[in-house]
Amino acid sequence: MEIIRNLGRHKLRNFLTIAGIVIGVLALTTMGSLAEKTNLLFEGGVTFYQDHVTVGDASSQFGGVMRLEKADELARVPGVAAVFPVVSVPAKSDLSISFGPPASIVGVKDGYDEWSKFELRFAHGRDLAPGASGETIIGSDLAKELRVSVGGTVRLPIPPKEGLAAVPSREFKVVGIIEKTLTAPDNFAYVSLADAQALLKDQLPPAFRGSVDPTKLASSMDVFGTPGTDLDALAKRINAEVGDVKAVGPTELVQAFQAGSAIFTAITTGSALLALIVGGLSIINTMSMAVIERFREIGLKKAVGARTGHILREFLFESAAIGVIGGVIGLALGWALIELINALTASSNLSLFLLTPRLVLIAAVFSIGLGGLAGLIPALRAARLDPVTALRYQ
Amino acid sequence: MTAAVETRDLRKHYVQGRGTVKALDGVTLRIEPGEFLAVVGRSGSGKTTLLDCLGLLLAPTDGQVILDGEDASRLGGNARAALRGRKLGFIFQEFNLLPGLTALENVMLPLRYTKVAGVGRAEAAALLDEVGLADRMTHRPSQLSGGEQQRVAIARSLINRPALVLGDEPTGEVDSDTSAQLVGLMRRINRERGVTFVLVTHDHDVASRTDRVIRLQDGRVLSDERVAPEVVSA
Repeated sequence: MEIIRNLGRHKLRNFLTIAGIVIGVLALTTMGSLAEKTNLLFEGGVTFYQDHVTVGDASSQFGGVMRLEKADELARVPGVAAVFPVVSVPAKSDLSISFGPPASIVGVKDGYDEWSKFELRFAHGRDLAPGASGETIIGSDLAKELRVSVGGTVRLPIPPKEGLAAVPSREFKVVGIIEKTLTAPDNFAYVSLADAQALLKDQLPPAFRGSVDPTKLASSMDVFGTPGTDLDALAKRINAEVGDVKAVGPTELVQAFQAGSAIFTAITTGSALLALIVGGLSIINTMSMAVIERFREIGLKKAVGARTGHILREFLFESAAIGVIGGVIGLALGWALIELINALTASSNLSLFLLTPRLVLIAAVFSIGLGGLAGLIPALRAARLDPVTALRYQ
Repeated sequence: MTAAVETRDLRKHYVQGRGTVKALDGVTLRIEPGEFLAVVGRSGSGKTTLLDCLGLLLAPTDGQVILDGEDASRLGGNARAALRGRKLGFIFQEFNLLPGLTALENVMLPLRYTKVAGVGRAEAAALLDEVGLADRMTHRPSQLSGGEQQRVAIARSLINRPALVLGDEPTGEVDSDTSAQLVGLMRRINRERGVTFVLVTHDHDVASRTDRVIRLQDGRVLSDERVAPEVVSA
């Protein structure tokens, strides 16, 4: 109670100090949430790619087109257990901003699920029926954006809201909605391989379209190794033995993801920490002023029996209280801001922030710790004051 | 009988420039429980230093301070603070009340650092009643007059049931009428509760209303006189 009254004694000064902490925690919360969301996408990427070798066309690697015969060549490489052609085409024909993997229509050969460690669960409906055409299962974010549910229909690629579509779209019946994965598949529409191949053909320049057999096309191939096979060594072997392809092992991809993740986290949390350090310095300033102003008060407390530890504790609690108040307000504002931005961007599928319990804990510990730590130097000064000097201070 | 406080050849020397200032230079005193006395002397005579040493706020250069039978001369800072909390009460010239606390909370402040069995809010309220501030308990210092603030300080000095209350110019900030009332209050408490009071003062009127006047000069006891009872009661 006395702490609150003491803080109320210099309202403007303490308000400004608390505002400094609020800004710091707000920065930590929002920047951290941004980093958490990105990390989750990176982690998703790690899970997504770590169990297979990704093989693309040598010239373009991803997004290019490769011939299906390459699957037979790949299957002959020692250590290869299964090859799955993957067809991936953009789900939106217009240019749109996206955070994380873009919305895509993905088709893979039946049986992929038995090999992949990345398991899809269904919130509603069911998986694609083997060999069925005209069916799709949709990721949770994309389903929300398109406002479709099981039993409804959707045109893929999604036609632009205004103007004419650059590529024709086809109608698909939604048979399942995928449970939220917090990574790439949330923005995917899975169709059968044959349907995806047809959509891929639609996207080719008109001059090629007539001469291409869509059933011979793939965007890339996912290669699974026999048990015990070193997938990175397998990628090297594929590059050596199969022409015109570029195979990437999981380590290389995972390292790329992790490096990206680490840099992003360092930049975002670094800037937030900087804001907090500035807040901490303002606590040191405020508490130093408070100690000087309360010299006589400290002297009196010592005269009536307060020991070094009592005074130290009182000032530490006061500076920690600044940290707590600033932390709570900063966290609340950060949470509100994150919810607001996420709500505003939900319609465009641009969910930027993810406030995790870990982040809340970090922000809470950091603000209290910072308050205490920043108050330590002034508190030590107060605690060590000579009672006679303090009592007679003018 | 154990003295309320006793000093033996008490010395406090300060090095100042090339010389040494002898603020106290061999003070030997014995103050019995229940005494009501004044320490007087000119500025620089050493009376404030003596009060600081008796109050264990200042460690002497040499000699002994024995407070209620406990030799405090060689104690460290925290041990001295703990002993102050148990055995001493202070009344300062400028009251030194905490502005953020009510009168009642100010009286209870010493209990925050020293627990006294059976003493709490009720005792603090009774003390405020005793000093005539029963209707001012929830007032902040800024809402009280100088005399009322000093009454709160007197109540605060008594909350831990001290062996000795030290007053540093306790009437220095109030007018003569209020001063007389405050001295009367302390005198009454001294008589009714048997609390020992040592008042450092410039004020002859205050000194004349005590039982004993110790006069200091250049850090030594110049005189130590008992005032005739009839003068006290006059």
